[in-house]
Amino acid sequence: MGYAIVERELLGTMRTGRAFALQVATSIAFAVLIVSRWPGNATVELSGAQAREVFRLFAYGLLAILLLLVPAFPATSIVNERKRGTLALLLTSPLPAWSVYAGKALGTLLFASLLLALSVPAATAAYAMGGISFTAEVLPLYAILGAVLVQYTALAMLASSCANSTDAALRSAYGLVLLLALVSLGPHYFLQGKPGVLPQIAEWLRCVSPVPAVMELAGHGDVGAFGLGAAAGTPGRFLIFAGVSIAACAVLTIARLNAFLLDRPRPQGIVTDDRSAAERWFRRCVFLVDPQRRKRGIGPLANPVMVKEFRTRRFGRFHWLLRLVAVSAIVSLLLTYAATSGTIDWGVETIGGMMVVLQVALIIVLTPSLGASLISAERESGGWELLRMTPLTAASILSGKLASVLSTLLLLMLATLPGYLVMIWIHPPLRWQVWQALICLGWMALLAMLLSAAVGSLCRRTAVATVVSYGLLGAGCLGTMLFWLGRGTSFSHSTVQSVLTVNPMAAALTIIAAPGFTAYTLAPANWWWMGGLCLACSAVLLVQTWRLTRPQ
Amino acid sequence: MNDSSPVVALRELTKVYGRLTALDRLSLALDRGRILGLIGPNGAGKTTAIKILVGLARPSGGSATIAGCDCLRRPKQLKRLVGYMPDTFGSYDNMRVWEYLDFFGAAFGIRRAARKRRIDEVMAITGSASMRDRYVESLSHGMKQRVGIARTLLHDPSVLILDEPANGLDPEARIEMRQILLRLAELGKTLIVSSHILAELSRVCDLIAILNRGRLEAFGTLAEIMKNVSQQRTMEVQLVGREHLATAAEIVRGYLESDAEVVPSPAEATVRFRTGKADRELVGLLARLAMSHVDLTQFREIPTDLEDAFLSVTNSLRDQQTPTGVAS
Repeated sequence: MGYAIVERELLGTMRTGRAFALQVATSIAFAVLIVSRWPGNATVELSGAQAREVFRLFAYGLLAILLLLVPAFPATSIVNERKRGTLALLLTSPLPAWSVYAGKALGTLLFASLLLALSVPAATAAYAMGGISFTAEVLPLYAILGAVLVQYTALAMLASSCANSTDAALRSAYGLVLLLALVSLGPHYFLQGKPGVLPQIAEWLRCVSPVPAVMELAGHGDVGAFGLGAAAGTPGRFLIFAGVSIAACAVLTIARLNAFLLDRPRPQGIVTDDRSAAERWFRRCVFLVDPQRRKRGIGPLANPVMVKEFRTRRFGRFHWLLRLVAVSAIVSLLLTYAATSGTIDWGVETIGGMMVVLQVALIIVLTPSLGASLISAERESGGWELLRMTPLTAASILSGKLASVLSTLLLLMLATLPGYLVMIWIHPPLRWQVWQALICLGWMALLAMLLSAAVGSLCRRTAVATVVSYGLLGAGCLGTMLFWLGRGTSFSHSTVQSVLTVNPMAAALTIIAAPGFTAYTLAPANWWWMGGLCLACSAVLLVQTWRLTRPQ
Repeated sequence: MNDSSPVVALRELTKVYGRLTALDRLSLALDRGRILGLIGPNGAGKTTAIKILVGLARPSGGSATIAGCDCLRRPKQLKRLVGYMPDTFGSYDNMRVWEYLDFFGAAFGIRRAARKRRIDEVMAITGSASMRDRYVESLSHGMKQRVGIARTLLHDPSVLILDEPANGLDPEARIEMRQILLRLAELGKTLIVSSHILAELSRVCDLIAILNRGRLEAFGTLAEIMKNVSQQRTMEVQLVGREHLATAAEIVRGYLESDAEVVPSPAEATVRFRTGKADRELVGLLARLAMSHVDLTQFREIPTDLEDAFLSVTNSLRDQQTPTGVAS
């Protein structure tokens, strides 16, 4: 019976245009890779360096594709069923929960495996060039990538079972992937080579990410290795962790797949104003800006669409943002204090780099989810027709919507500002660098918002818009960093410099002079690029919004 | 615009999507305070007509005006004249009913103090005051429809256009919806209501327009439509028991036209038939039944309802017309 679910999931995905586009794009990407690196002359390259170069690019490219694409499908699989009402039909059928889970997971995995299978010709070509071991390199690489596939599918399905909306599921899934794949590398990056227990824990922690494992197989040292030999055995550790996390996620998700998932009462709509004085006082302390209080009417000068956006978002509401900003600000302050007071000897540049990465992570995780739903969610819910029936102009609708995201992003930008201010206070010559880095981050936030909103205006479904936005931003900010990882071996300095020019995070890191980025100069060129891209996205957004407000 | 001129006027309204004609030269007029029921099978062009009237779609030909305002050329003015409730509710998550109405009030540029008063008024009219602090997404379908109507009333439009307002409502909610619509007509609003629930429409609408394949097939009061579209009426013979049912049906068949539709019902012990014969001609049938010792208790005409009218129109046209496509 579970076979029916597998078939429906797989066929449902395969029939969509985006699935076809993904397969074609993957095939073309690998074909281009092989064609561009295939030997052009008849000289035999005995050292195998060229084959290894292709193999590295191939491995990093495939890993990047999996990290960007795999969470998208499973993250919406359960929450979409719940929203459509079909989950109730599945749960009232004779199928046990594990069968429903296995059916959905297998359907998604089979599709993702297709993407992996599309890479096999490229892997064969790389192997045919010589210099690569099939059993020691190619097979372990596919084992690692297969584990990544299953692990992130299980993780995204767990996020999907917990979320109430598709954008929340996608945000959680991509947030978790970012945390596991990249943020987990941070502690080891900063603590490597130090004595004590913490560095050892950090060394284990980095194995949570598949990046060190793939780097080891590709013959690279480690992320940001400072000339020390990295400890071997990361693929094995990663596989152990992946196995444990897959089992844990599967058990938790299956446990959630029961009728109680749907057994939720309708909210009674109790407002804080009607509660007792003690409850009101408690909520004031906990929330600062209580979302349950009775609102005043929208003010005469406020854009009603902007206020509506704030009121309807679950995550974008002020109390969540304030908490997030407060936590980030405290972390950035602690880091800066620790670095400048000599508690740790990381150096101001390293701390600055960490804050840039923290800021970019916040922007990448939150902005697509906020921006992509601006127009697509309205169209999906039927609210767009109602908006069109009001006297509000397209410009006023758009400005209200963008202002709601922009003000949220400004709050996010404030998250790391205290840390930068302390840095400037302690070391005044850094002022100019910090300002330049903040300009880069500002461009990054603006581009993320405009890009997501433009994508959202082109898509009818919020989930598709959110995934595409995450994919594009991830490709721009994280995908281009793959070239940096291959600096000096696979890619020349000028190639890395050219590719990183479009990456605002890399530009900010070069300005801060973070380790590994001192050899590049990206700042003015990057700003021009960002300006151009923002203009292009704005043009798409304006035209599309205007078009959508016209009579059809 | 003077008071005698129609509030809603459609002239030769046409909408073509590629090779598909969704609306074919639709013309009708509606006076102030009247309720028009727009009915038709799926794909008849009801929603297309409504979308043109509210300025969401551009007609391929003809014109539509509301209170003298051209629906295409003066969209800003139109939005203040019309209150539109689409067939989908258009709710926002995490928003309470009062916040929802406050947002749309602000979008229509109603000042804050006036908006508060207006929200209270429309909630009172639609009986949704008790839902003030409830989250919109947590409301039942019937409650959502009330809030939807409250939203359309916020800017005090002279014309309300409601697309399938009774769809999915339980019987009690339907009765309440009917009362709301009648109350709105009493307030001087002109209403255009599309619905599939014909029994509901016949009870509230002054005028009925039947659309089929984009064409206006019938327009007028229910009595006028029945007079125009059908020369036949439905008669029923009620028997004491069902033992004479076959005999009675045979006698009726023998007396009527050869293609007459005669339906015996053993459960109800009735024989129902449609005929174009006058009362004087039917006296002979009654006499024949009595002479055959069929024990009957009633020989009566069944009042025609909107459903009969609708079926008469759509069935009579089905054979006459060649399909031109299905409207959205």
